[in-house]
Amino acid sequence: MSQTVVSTDPGVRHHAHHFDSAEHEFDSAKQGMWLFLVTEVLMIGAIFVAFMTFRGLYLEDFQAAHKLLSVPLGATNTVILITSSVTMVLGVTSAQRKQKGLTVLMLFLTFLLACGFLIVKYIEYTGKFHHGIMPAGLYTGVNEFAASSDAFKLFFSFYFVMTGIHAAHVVIGMGLILWIMRRAARGEFTGGYYTPVELVGFYWHFVDLVWIFLFPMLYLIG
Amino acid sequence: MSDHKQHHILSTRLALTIGAVLLSLTGFTVYIAHFDFGRWNLIVALLVAVTKAMLVCLFFMNLLYDKKENSLIFATSFFFLAIFFTLLATDVFFRGPVKLAKGQALYLVATGAQAKPKFKRPWVATPELVARGKKVFTQNCASCHGDQGLGNGPASASINPKPRNFTQNDDWKKGRKVTDIFRTLTNGLNQMPSFASLSPEDKWAAAHYVQTFGAKAAEPAPADFALIKIDPNSEFGGAAATVKSIPIDVAIELVVRDAQRKN
Repeated sequence: MSQTVVSTDPGVRHHAHHFDSAEHEFDSAKQGMWLFLVTEVLMIGAIFVAFMTFRGLYLEDFQAAHKLLSVPLGATNTVILITSSVTMVLGVTSAQRKQKGLTVLMLFLTFLLACGFLIVKYIEYTGKFHHGIMPAGLYTGVNEFAASSDAFKLFFSFYFVMTGIHAAHVVIGMGLILWIMRRAARGEFTGGYYTPVELVGFYWHFVDLVWIFLFPMLYLIG
Repeated sequence: MSDHKQHHILSTRLALTIGAVLLSLTGFTVYIAHFDFGRWNLIVALLVAVTKAMLVCLFFMNLLYDKKENSLIFATSFFFLAIFFTLLATDVFFRGPVKLAKGQALYLVATGAQAKPKFKRPWVATPELVARGKKVFTQNCASCHGDQGLGNGPASASINPKPRNFTQNDDWKKGRKVTDIFRTLTNGLNQMPSFASLSPEDKWAAAHYVQTFGAKAAEPAPADFALIKIDPNSEFGGAAATVKSIPIDVAIELVVRDAQRKN
């Protein structure tokens, strides 16, 4: 594999006075981001644990309920998110290489893919609402699912809470992408300083990571 | 710490390769979901997901080239999640039955918490009983005995002696008449726990289903019924056929209903 390296040039941006060096600042910011991602894992992980527990207790209901989700739509969104992760990583590497135009283009593509993800999600949600498939308390099931068991409805509570939290992350991520895209377009990341691009990249990859687990758990095996 | 430290830059080619591998793995996991591996479905799907997650973390999030302390920090969160899930699972999935006092079984039927028995003379196999037995088997037995009754379920790996292979017709320690299987379900055997918390009907149903894996078994004699204190002349098996204990989640449900009634 061919690897390129670039030296950080602290000339353009001066590091904050409580850091030894620009490198020290970069490392600390990155570590802070990892610590934040730990809290994210624990939050989403707790919901996953709850899902696995109830799935174990009510396996039959969960397996029947998951068949109502559309695998093609879920798979489409998986492809969209993975592709957006690739464009995001290319955005980061072009910022590292100080290629302003390419950075902006890649971030813009990532933003567009995120829009595509939300559109598919919108189609899925409205389809479910149309059939009265809602979180347990609001479930009205206007068809053969009306007589469904509580555990059957519980699956959809998990579905909406988990994909809802994930979609909120997508929206926040889109805001962050717009923010660094603007800064990149202003040429702020052409002097060797690119910390915000890297950290937003982490956030976006984390959004991808969560979906990598949500997709098989909810759509494929139930 | 030097200001001139070199940062690793992922090559475009490697980024695209990882992306292609991730997409292929997505295709693979969708394709493989068309096949039913029973309880292994979850394991297979999780293995693929973990592989994809590792690729994202190592290459896209740079952990492979980064300081090891960042990997350690991130791994810690999964370590704590594992503790969380393990401790919870040891409780939720291994709860024993709640023993009932005299008369409580009738109360359960009266309040609708426990279903009235549906099948008369359930020790005689019917297609309905066998179908019900299949459900009971899948929920309670298949993790050890396997979906096909071969004694090779996912949990069988850690069990010694191995779970009974139901397709072998000989050498069953307690016999394989339907009453024998009913007795083993009630009492347990070696590593197998007692399933006394199943309703008698579910135990009969499971016993009939277990017999379908092998050859036709001998009919039970009156002495066999006496062993399990079932009266074959009574429609539902007599007094001994009532429930003596219930699963803990049924008990929790009852406590909740009681509380609601008092409010």
